[in-house]
Amino acid sequence: MRANWGLVLLPPLVFSVILLFGPQIMFLRASFYEDLGIGRLGPDFTFINYILAFTDSFYYESLILNFQLSASVTLLSLFVAYPVAYRIARMTPRWAMIILAAIIVSAFLSVAIKILGMIILFSANGALNRFLLWTGLISDTIGIIGTIPGIIFGLVHLSISFKVLLLFSVIQTVPRSLEEAAEIHGAKRWRVYWRVVIPLSLPGIISVSLLSFNLIMGAFVSALVLGGGKIFTLPVLIQQSLMLFSEFGISAALSAILMVFVFTINIISVIMVTRIHAARLAVT
Amino acid sequence: MSEHAVTTGPKTRTLVPTAGFGNPFSKWRKSLGGWVLNTWVAFVIIVIYLPIIIVVGASVDPGSYIESRAFLTFPPRGFSLQWYLNIHPRLWQSLWVSVSMASISAVFGLLIGVPAALGLIRCNWRGKIFMGALLRAPLQIPFIVIGVAFLQAYHLAAEVFHINLVGSFTGLVLGHVFVASPYVISAVGVQLQRFNPSMEEAALIHGASRMRTFMRITLPIIMPGIYAGGLYAFLISFGDVTISLFLAGPDTTPFPVQVLHTITQDFDPTVPAMASLVCIGSLFVLLAVQKLVGLDVLLRGGGSG
Repeated sequence: MRANWGLVLLPPLVFSVILLFGPQIMFLRASFYEDLGIGRLGPDFTFINYILAFTDSFYYESLILNFQLSASVTLLSLFVAYPVAYRIARMTPRWAMIILAAIIVSAFLSVAIKILGMIILFSANGALNRFLLWTGLISDTIGIIGTIPGIIFGLVHLSISFKVLLLFSVIQTVPRSLEEAAEIHGAKRWRVYWRVVIPLSLPGIISVSLLSFNLIMGAFVSALVLGGGKIFTLPVLIQQSLMLFSEFGISAALSAILMVFVFTINIISVIMVTRIHAARLAVT
Repeated sequence: MSEHAVTTGPKTRTLVPTAGFGNPFSKWRKSLGGWVLNTWVAFVIIVIYLPIIIVVGASVDPGSYIESRAFLTFPPRGFSLQWYLNIHPRLWQSLWVSVSMASISAVFGLLIGVPAALGLIRCNWRGKIFMGALLRAPLQIPFIVIGVAFLQAYHLAAEVFHINLVGSFTGLVLGHVFVASPYVISAVGVQLQRFNPSMEEAALIHGASRMRTFMRITLPIIMPGIYAGGLYAFLISFGDVTISLFLAGPDTTPFPVQVLHTITQDFDPTVPAMASLVCIGSLFVLLAVQKLVGLDVLLRGGGSG
């Protein structure tokens, strides 16, 4: 006789479904009513918020900016994190454990504290400016907060730890013996990377990249603080329109657009990874 | 099968499988390419920790209050613990909010996540995969959207049912339980999947009651998953800014949100001191985890989600 585990599943499922659908339906509903500002919504069902989001340059430009930022940060952090992950995967276990521990600890420290550090580093009187002035590389202080490179640095920084950890588990699945085999057969080191390590970790690279793309699409704190109130990514716009202007309709529509975007990327991710697996099975 | 081995206890704390034979990379490691790679790893680790080092450095700066309100300096011009002694009471209050919020969120996350994981893996219902997807759905939604959705739902709840959740502690915890429970489910789920059900059957055959089997066999085996899941839930709730920013009220401001207010609105020079204390606290928590179950439990929980 087997216990009925379904009964164990039921209460958490009901609770989660309420928490999932309650708020989601509520805000999706709000996105279909005209926004009258200060928390009031029009009486009629309409697509006006969505039309506004795609026609008003203020809104769609922030969507484009968000997309560009996420794509460039994803690529940059991949180039930063992949070699680190590879090196850790090929270390002696003792060293790998020490370095992984350091990265895990950094990944779990609060974003707010890291951003505070970056602000102290980047501010006009900050360490970076004084260092550059001291070396004579610049003659006047440079502003980093409120610029695109500032945001990119912050986002790359915040995504590196998780990316190294995820890529590490991907590269670990590439057997070291394959690299040795290639080397024994006379392949140069870069050729081993290019023809063995990278192709074998490609499905992992793609899924990790899409995951981090999604996380960065929704990244809010670094964009808000390092953007210095001058750069409006989609999440910043959503927060400002809801919290400062109580525009329930338009903030809901922008959130819905962001969510649909992220869902689409997730679906593409799943399809691509299964395709690559299928293709590999067909070859072998 | 090694997959069914019970990997608890302090002895199995390896993160990487040991290379069986002599290191074939010894030659390569001495080469230029290997040197560049090692330097890169060191550089990235330093950059990752740079903001934390800066915060700790700024926290011991001996500058005056007026001066430090305008800007904090790094490297510090001297050493002083003045900011540590004068930490603003508001910061202590926000830390208390954070700790209690994260603990309660972790407990509720476990209360939802553990039975959900058990049910998902053990039950034989037909829509199991669909239910799993529903339970994991919060992972797919950006935090900012969760914040917007919960805040709007709370506003509506206040209007229609006269339940006041806007800015309340309960509302804050509810939002965090929502995002944290999938992590508990995957952490416990991973532990359950690698565990051999014949051990339970053996206990049952030998006459143990269901309850006793659960308490003596199942629970100890999934314990690392429970630790990991609970810790994950705690850390996510503790570190979150985005959702808290939407759901917190003036009396229920968690510490990270307080830091954000400090950066964007009015500066308080004691914040780096408090932030340093929080970092040290987090370090101790993670050290305790390493001693208890090994930090790799955190690796297991996250990636699969």
